Amino acid sequence: MLNYLIYLLTFVIGSIAGLVYSYKLHGEPFVADSSLNILYCIISVVGWVLAFNSSNMLLGGIGFLLAGFVMGGRPGYGRKETAIGIVIAIIVYLVLHFMVSV
Amino acid sequence: MADILINVIIAFLAGSLLLGLHRKIMARVQKRPGPPIIQHLLHSLKFFFKETAFPKTASMPFYIGIVFILAVVWVVGVIVGPVTKGSLLILFGVYAVYKIVEHNSGSSSGSPYGKASCVRAVLSAATELPLFAAVVLVYLKTGSMNIGNIISYQASNGPLAFSIPLAAIMFFLLLLAKSPYSPFAITKDKTLVSGFETEHFGFLRGFIMFSESISWYVMLWVFLTIFFGPLGVVGYVVGMIVITFITGFINAVTPLLNPNHSVMSQITLGAACFVGTVIMILI
Repeated sequence: MLNYLIYLLTFVIGSIAGLVYSYKLHGEPFVADSSLNILYCIISVVGWVLAFNSSNMLLGGIGFLLAGFVMGGRPGYGRKETAIGIVIAIIVYLVLHFMVSV
Repeated sequence: MADILINVIIAFLAGSLLLGLHRKIMARVQKRPGPPIIQHLLHSLKFFFKETAFPKTASMPFYIGIVFILAVVWVVGVIVGPVTKGSLLILFGVYAVYKIVEHNSGSSSGSPYGKASCVRAVLSAATELPLFAAVVLVYLKTGSMNIGNIISYQASNGPLAFSIPLAAIMFFLLLLAKSPYSPFAITKDKTLVSGFETEHFGFLRGFIMFSESISWYVMLWVFLTIFFGPLGVVGYVVGMIVITFITGFINAVTPLLNPNHSVMSQITLGAACFVGTVIMILI
């Protein structure tokens, strides 16, 4: 169970860091920039792929930290990036498992 | 001991995130951006560092003690559920004590809002009837109250949700009643400010939020375990998120029921599901 606790803790720490950083970037009282942030997108993809596909506790923890960083951003930011990250991570998971079973 | 501690922290973190997700879903249904998912967790932690005030009308030491009883009750829920996979009867007892705590928390503060909520807590004990009926039906079907045995039964006979679906619906009613902003949440009606929690500030409120997060996790865990068979971690995560989504949608589009309607709806639905399940078992 310790690994799941570490995943949860890293996700929460990443979310808090993401929220603080997001408020520093965007201080406006409304969502001013709804375009796709490429850097966030890369962080999200790396994070979710590691979180979903890594059996190593350290890599999984880093994955959840990165995933939480993007997902935990200020409301209105990081949504598309998170969705892309999760979809790609699921595809990678299915491909890896399909390859193993074949 | 370490296992208990790890499970309690997991229950707190996972429950907080799920309740945060619940708020987010309700907000999105109502076309609001909503708070970040970790907001519920941040609120819980924030209250531990806030100044704590004690009302002059509070009935000490009960006013403080009841909050710790609430926390202990749900920690016992974690021990009996995810840690030891013990008896369903103890979990039923945990829920019964929780209702008593809700009742006494309101009355001990001396606030009129708390007292009104305390009276409603007695009425809302109606949620225990569907829970009790669901537990009885699970026993009739599996021949055991032990969660470990129920998991084994489902491993060989398939999930109970398919063989006694109406009992699962009854248990789901309990989850719905327990979820925030539920149509059955008569003890936390906004006309009563925060109901039985109104006069609990600072770290006392922090403990209440800590307990509520754990309770949401435990209730979801019990529901998934006794109705959806042996599940892996992914199954539990997906199941908990799906149930949180469903309750969030229902609560976002359903107004709070009048106390009498709330009680009668739950009893009527519970009775219909109980009779239906007994007929299904006999046939």
